[in-house]
Amino acid sequence: MTDRARRAHEVDPRAPLAVGATVKAARRLVGVDANAARLGLAPGLTLADAQARQPSLVVCDAEPEAEARLLERVADACVRFTPLTALDGRDGLMLDVSGVAHLFGGEEGLAAEVEAQLSRAGLTVALGLADSPRAAWALARFSHRRIAPAGLAGKDFARLYHDLPAAALGLDPDTCADMARAGLRRIGDLALRPRAPIAARFGADVIARLDALAGDARGAISPRFAAPELSVERRFASPIAASEAAFAALARLADDLALLLERQGKGARRLELMLFRIDGGARRISVGAGRPLAEAKAMARLFAERLAGGAEEEIDTGFGVDLMRLSCLVAERIAPAQGEWERLEESAGARALADLVDRLSARLGTRRVTRLERVAAHLPEQAFAATPAALGEARAAGQGESAAPADAPTRPLRLFERPEPIEALAEVPDGPPLRFRWRRVLHEVAAIEGPERIAAPWWRRPGAPTRDYFRAEDALGRRFWLYREGLYGRETTQAKWFVHGVFG
Amino acid sequence: MSPGDRAEGVARLRCAVAAIEGRRAATPARAAGRLPLTGALDRALGGGLAADGLHEIAPASPADGSAAMGFALALAARFMAVRGRTAIVMAEDFALAELGALYGPGLAAFGLDLSRLVFVRAPDAPALFQAMEDALKSGAPAAVIGEAWRLKSYDLAASRRLLLAARAGGAPALLTAASAYGAAEAFSSAAETRFEIAAAPSAHLASAGGGRGLPGAPAFTVRLVKARIGVGGAGQGADPTRTFRLAWRAEELSFDEPTLSLPVAAAADDRPRATRA
Repeated sequence: MTDRARRAHEVDPRAPLAVGATVKAARRLVGVDANAARLGLAPGLTLADAQARQPSLVVCDAEPEAEARLLERVADACVRFTPLTALDGRDGLMLDVSGVAHLFGGEEGLAAEVEAQLSRAGLTVALGLADSPRAAWALARFSHRRIAPAGLAGKDFARLYHDLPAAALGLDPDTCADMARAGLRRIGDLALRPRAPIAARFGADVIARLDALAGDARGAISPRFAAPELSVERRFASPIAASEAAFAALARLADDLALLLERQGKGARRLELMLFRIDGGARRISVGAGRPLAEAKAMARLFAERLAGGAEEEIDTGFGVDLMRLSCLVAERIAPAQGEWERLEESAGARALADLVDRLSARLGTRRVTRLERVAAHLPEQAFAATPAALGEARAAGQGESAAPADAPTRPLRLFERPEPIEALAEVPDGPPLRFRWRRVLHEVAAIEGPERIAAPWWRRPGAPTRDYFRAEDALGRRFWLYREGLYGRETTQAKWFVHGVFG
Repeated sequence: MSPGDRAEGVARLRCAVAAIEGRRAATPARAAGRLPLTGALDRALGGGLAADGLHEIAPASPADGSAAMGFALALAARFMAVRGRTAIVMAEDFALAELGALYGPGLAAFGLDLSRLVFVRAPDAPALFQAMEDALKSGAPAAVIGEAWRLKSYDLAASRRLLLAARAGGAPALLTAASAYGAAEAFSSAAETRFEIAAAPSAHLASAGGGRGLPGAPAFTVRLVKARIGVGGAGQGADPTRTFRLAWRAEELSFDEPTLSLPVAAAADDRPRATRA
């Protein structure tokens, strides 16, 4: 919290800093930085008390949303260490580093690297590394030892954890207070006592947490993003800032990934490019493909399209990017191409179309490149749905009402999202119109067909008026789809007319 | 030097090289052929509509916008039927908001195969032209329809780019602009063909009650404003004073020319422009 405040407002780094918020009807400190903690200030103190004790204290308002956003950004940046990162409460991150540490020269090296990266971004880090998430959490928050050796058990385990306060189990403050009243202040006090009475008095949760601490019960973390199927990355000794250099690196990454995919006989359906900036920021750009992609050029081009269509024209490298990672989130087996020449040619055409759809979707957005599908619905405005074309081939036509081609089409080419009201004149209230005025132009009806009665689904919207549709052609040959809302005499006495669409 | 000029320059240089080397291709290879429409129109067009050209379709009046789009869709349906491939319909956001979105069941009833149509919405006209160019160049679609709202950013260079893309991909570009009504003669572009389309009264079917008739097959009044026919091409060329009346047969995916004996046909033909609209 104080890190965010320090980043947001320019605060003298030596000044004690605290974040305040209104808790239990009083302004209290909710977070203090290292300087303030050294002066004996702690969260929970009222603002008045704190300022009386330390007049030099700088207090900023807590902004939970901004803090959560900062934490998410940090979590994104931590993906450079491991793909499995998760948010832990409001002020912590949990990284699953199984099988990762050797890439950074052992666990010590990893811890040092994490600390260096995050403190460069202006963050104060307390970290812990252990066999189980719960143990790492306890170390980070309550211990000076940062790294617990793997496979710790028995006496060594006791030496490391039993001195930690009971709060290191992550219990809520009330339970901790109850325990303290019973003289149970340390984890050791709990761990060395018979379990049944403790469970009976403080709940089975305490025992579960003790087990989790020892790693007996493996608590899984829920990562923010699924781990990719394949990923390749490149580190840069000196950070790159030029957009061209980033694109060149992207092309090389795509080559690497294509090689990996080819070995597995797969193609990428969903790709993600991550750029880790030296200021601790991370940016992820993802693109989808309508067919499994295996060609490096096609992958690089999708990203180029995506960037060309976005707000920025080029890769935002900030102060420089020191790590780029290209991941394949979803891979699919490529059906080997075989068959007669004729079919090969046909599939080449389909592939060219799929490539085109992917490129347009990457540039304009998937919602802008669509196919229309028929839906079984009576109301004309619900009779079809637009689905992103990038999802692949349209489902077989023929669902819903089939509108066979007819010399005189019964449905309009264009449908207005909102039917436009018109003034219509009819011989009898429930008859077809003689003339009508739409968009200030008077149209004499020369030919008309109808009514086609379409009722709203009564089981969903009871009482919705029935519509009588007419196909009307005016003297100059323009064709309109009109309807009268409400059955005259039964549902309404004042017929309202609308234009719902126009024919070609 | 804009990219369009560069592309054009490269194309010209290629032609020059080909000519020096004595190869036949003095112009970029034209393999795509022509699509026949109807007898009279084909004679004017020199055998039909070029399958790898840029064709502009302008409405005659504000209310003829949907007729112009209908004509473009009918052409696309014919290209799709001949080539058995997907057509791409692109439109500017503003055109869709103003004119109404294309309606699936209506398209199906008009003779278009929905499973072989892809729709693209572009945020503005430059994005629309860029998307059209990419689609044409890919060589995948049977035809590309583009619906712009205004032709402000559509100049000689832009049209030339579309034309070259159409040549490169061997697919026709059909461009319509709803707000360019009545301006078919007013602007210049590199397009091969320019049509001006107005709705025409259909051949009404007799109604059972004996009152007003029922609307028949969609009919268009077509004026060929511009037709560029290659050197030595056989065709009469454009004659802006002449109008053609076509009716669209969605079942057969073809146009026909109704005979003048139909009850209302005479009114539409050869009428001075001033009294229309």
